[in-house]
Amino acid sequence: MTETWAPTRALSRSVLLTGLLMLLGVILGRVDLVLLAAPFAIGAAWHLSRRPRAMPEVAITADESHLVEGGEVAAGLTVSNTDLIPYDLVVVRTRTSRWLRLEHADRPFALTVPSDGWAAIDLPGEALRWGRQDVGPAAARAAACGGLLACRPVVTPARGVRVYPTTEPFRATEAMPAAAGLVGAHRSRRLGEGGELAGVRQFAPGDRLRRIDWRVSLRTRDLHVASTLSDRDAEVLLLLDVLGEVGLSGGVRGGSSVLDTTVRAAAAVAEHYLHRGDRVSLLEYGATARRLRAASGRRQYLTVLEWLLDVHADPVDERYEPALGAHHISTSALVVVLTPLLDPRAADMLAQLTQAGRYVVAVDTLPPDEAPPVRNQWTPLATRLWRIERENVLGRLREHGVPVVAWAGAGSLDQVLRDVARMAAAPRGR
Amino acid sequence: MLAAIVRRLRGARTVLRRFTLIPLIVRFGIGVCGLLAMAVAWPASLLSSEYVVPLVVVALWPAFAPRGRSATVAALITVGGWIVDTAGYDSRIALWRVIALAAALYVGHTLTALAAVLPYDAVVNLDVPGLWLGRSLLVVLVSAVLIVLALGLTADLVGDAFQVATLMGLVAATAVTLLLARLARRG
Repeated sequence: MTETWAPTRALSRSVLLTGLLMLLGVILGRVDLVLLAAPFAIGAAWHLSRRPRAMPEVAITADESHLVEGGEVAAGLTVSNTDLIPYDLVVVRTRTSRWLRLEHADRPFALTVPSDGWAAIDLPGEALRWGRQDVGPAAARAAACGGLLACRPVVTPARGVRVYPTTEPFRATEAMPAAAGLVGAHRSRRLGEGGELAGVRQFAPGDRLRRIDWRVSLRTRDLHVASTLSDRDAEVLLLLDVLGEVGLSGGVRGGSSVLDTTVRAAAAVAEHYLHRGDRVSLLEYGATARRLRAASGRRQYLTVLEWLLDVHADPVDERYEPALGAHHISTSALVVVLTPLLDPRAADMLAQLTQAGRYVVAVDTLPPDEAPPVRNQWTPLATRLWRIERENVLGRLREHGVPVVAWAGAGSLDQVLRDVARMAAAPRGR
Repeated sequence: MLAAIVRRLRGARTVLRRFTLIPLIVRFGIGVCGLLAMAVAWPASLLSSEYVVPLVVVALWPAFAPRGRSATVAALITVGGWIVDTAGYDSRIALWRVIALAAALYVGHTLTALAAVLPYDAVVNLDVPGLWLGRSLLVVLVSAVLIVLALGLTADLVGDAFQVATLMGLVAATAVTLLLARLARRG
């Protein structure tokens, strides 16, 4: 292991000065010159009497708790010394994701590490944006023997910190357009076993005794039962347009890019519907078309958050269409498409899904003030033209029956869900 | 050309902004040791002439560039000045001058070794420079005792200073050879 420790320029200087001064002392017959070499000779002999063999070990510690954007991160670095002699100096550097604001993480740290011991560096800070944010890689270089020997840098791979997106409060009071399962949170239009009172009718063979409404039965002197509407569940598919990223993300307290809005809105909508007992699935509209199968409950909510951490811009070559067909989507699912509607293929996809009879709601994730950077005098005009063209696309989508709404947090989907539910109730026939 | 100068100036400004206190103190210490060694080694008449400017530049050079050969060059020039002063100007070899020169050279050397491995913008634990300087002062103390004893021997005992120097030089040269051989074998 000694080859990992190399002599420094200080050792060369020590040996050179010692040898030269002694040589000159002998040649010139000068005791003082020999004595000037004494500290260098004594220092080198003392420091090199014991030399290190083991390399320092660096470990990165990072928060494993449920961390949300804007939350406090507790990261740290630990440098261990398994050798029998202390390290006089260990310089540790680490890189961190730009979305983790850790104290002094942009500077190297210099510390001593005792023999067979360790030293720790705390890196408290704040998580600024959702995603898998890296702490590291970290590198350490140690010097021992009074700086006469130094080891080669030891590098430790990065450690990811999972930062979950903030979920803006979201609620939708409107009924689902189409409930699918037998049991769920939504009242259906059919009579059946459920909690929602539909009316009171005369007892008929097959009715359960516990359904008898005794007050009405005593008054009318005939057996009556309370009839209820059956409870149904629904599937919500969140379709995330990841064909491109637009806008600059400023973290949790700054501006939002398209992907920021997409991920935060998806988390909020998923939390809302999963809390109500619905089944939620997710699908990416991009090159890899990642998919999360539909499920319900708290476990699915955590899976959704984990799945959202890996969302990134996943463009598809303009010559090809992303692999998504209406047959991939359940006919009874409510499809919430989170899209900036910048790519014409996204608008085509929305129109096709609606034509195929899916219940589609488009959520516009483009930041309201987003505009290309001004390059010359024609840029404002070009931007206006682009905005007019985009408004035209939105209008055509609405004509196709695709409600498009800008994401605005709580209650922002109520109006469109009401429209979709009304359309779902209408007789179909194309 | 102008762009390169502007870039360098910006770089210098960034360096100045990021400098932390302890690396600054270490480099200040290197400069002080260099100036002290030059002042003790070189003849006073040369130090009061226009030659003082290059000597000051050489003495301060390791403080600005501790990773190169600057400290070696500065030490050799200091030793050269000592030989010029004692052999050329026939100055007296006073005990305090030998001790002061040896201490300044060695402390400057160890501080340069520290500055070479310590980044200028590092967050430094206080025990790093404390222990480093403590070890250097211990070596200086032992060396000072040796210097006092050795110079006392040459003054008091019967015998030529040339013989004592030869004897001590040979002993020290043998020790250094053994040390180097041991290093080479282990390496």
